[in-house]
Amino acid sequence: MSLQKKFFSIVSQYCAINADELQGSARFREDLDFSSLDFMSFLGEIEDEFDVELEQEQVLQIRTVDEALSMISELQEA
Amino acid sequence: MKTYELTAAQKMHYRWIQTYKTQQVSGLSIVASLQADIDFKILKKAIEMEFERYGCLRVQFTKPDKNGDIKQYILPEKINDIPLKDLSDMTMEEADKTMQSWAYHTFDGDDIPMAEFFLMKLPDGYNGFFLHMDHRLIDSCGVVVMTNDIMSLYTHLRFDAPLPAELADYETVLEKDLKKASNEKRFAKDKKFWDDMLDELGEPLYSDIQGPMALDRARKAHNNPTLRCADIELKELFVAVKDYKLDADSANTLFNFCQNHQLSMTNLLLLGMRTYLSKVNNGQQDISIQNFISRRSTHDEWTSGGSRTIMFPCRTVISPDTEFMEAAYLIQNMQNQIYMHSNYDPQYIYDEIRKRYHTPDNTTYESCYLTYQPLPVKMENPYLKDIKMHSKWFANGAATKKMYLTVSHTEDGGMNFSYHYQTVDLNEKDVELFNYYLMKIIFAGVENPALTVGELINIV
Repeated sequence: MSLQKKFFSIVSQYCAINADELQGSARFREDLDFSSLDFMSFLGEIEDEFDVELEQEQVLQIRTVDEALSMISELQEA
Repeated sequence: MKTYELTAAQKMHYRWIQTYKTQQVSGLSIVASLQADIDFKILKKAIEMEFERYGCLRVQFTKPDKNGDIKQYILPEKINDIPLKDLSDMTMEEADKTMQSWAYHTFDGDDIPMAEFFLMKLPDGYNGFFLHMDHRLIDSCGVVVMTNDIMSLYTHLRFDAPLPAELADYETVLEKDLKKASNEKRFAKDKKFWDDMLDELGEPLYSDIQGPMALDRARKAHNNPTLRCADIELKELFVAVKDYKLDADSANTLFNFCQNHQLSMTNLLLLGMRTYLSKVNNGQQDISIQNFISRRSTHDEWTSGGSRTIMFPCRTVISPDTEFMEAAYLIQNMQNQIYMHSNYDPQYIYDEIRKRYHTPDNTTYESCYLTYQPLPVKMENPYLKDIKMHSKWFANGAATKKMYLTVSHTEDGGMNFSYHYQTVDLNEKDVELFNYYLMKIIFAGVENPALTVGELINIV
């Protein structure tokens, strides 16, 4: 499974939108209705699933699905 | 039958049962009823279907092993009956009192059902069901999901309404949780977060709702003038409940403030509580409050039932010259980090504290506990929406906590502040005082967020 597909599949578990219909520009809080708890739990799961280490200050800048995906991609390449 | 370890949330309840030596501390009871003619045969069928759909209702526990540890397993089908109880010749107050007495019953024994339902005929034409079960099987979010599902099944069977969507499988979600908990990398990250906090801040310091007396008492009892924790009550667990309402307009002021400042209500409440504790404890800056976290984020977590709520200490050190808004964000930042590490068993935090600071047994660093419960306790079913409802949570009568505040939303748009407090130490006056100052602090801060915490403490 591609990184994007896997990532979208995880995001869709946290909101009421199918992975196929998820837009990269969707904002976690405003569009996908993530609470702080949802967002931080989600990030914890992302760390485990993609074996990356997220910095607290960095993750608080994330607004959209695409931004999160880019960050993971960069961290995996680093 | 396949057996599983308990999750961290279940272990928390089990430890309380062991510490306080009664299952009563883990009891959870509600009544949900409608002022309508209920077909009890159909309601019974709906509840039986719920036992099939909601696997957590069929969970049982094994006999403790030589270390006192137990395991859980899921029965393939329910085994106990659902009798009808008729309290319709009483007043509602008498009926509530009777049901309250059922909430004190304990599930004693191993390998026994830990959930029981009664079909209820209540006064004034109200009919529905009463549920009494063990908290290790379900938490309050789980109860709300279950109640809605039962009534959706009822309207499906009775009025041919659509069959409600499938609920997530309890066993699958449990397996996923246990797998997460056994992830060594995750465990190391979580442990590091909590250990780093102790490295930075040192041993926590107890702050009591009644001021420094409790800590002074503990220091004398332990003959240790620098003790930083206080004794917990182990024998007199009786709990009283006092509710205070906040009207819809005032509640809206708080919701709008939170929305405009991207602050969660939990953090605003924590700030109000910790400021009061600081006020009555001679301006103490290092305050810890236990905050319950629902740990329900994914669709499967929401609909699988089970006991997912777990409490973590929210510890902040805030100086009096910190502005209200800045203090709110300090708490929010702390809570966000805690959320990320909420898969951790909080017992490990206290094991580490005990190891480092030789904390005496049966003591605590926290006197206050908070649950913010945004989910309304109502039946969201279009077939039943205009029907009057009588629903109630019954306290289990045995508090493991000195003061436990549950904040929830009311149907009229307001908020309810429900205080459960141990009567051996606290009385209604203490709780009234707490609520009075909590409101004063929060509203003064919301009105003027540039005020410092020290200024707030002085003006309220």
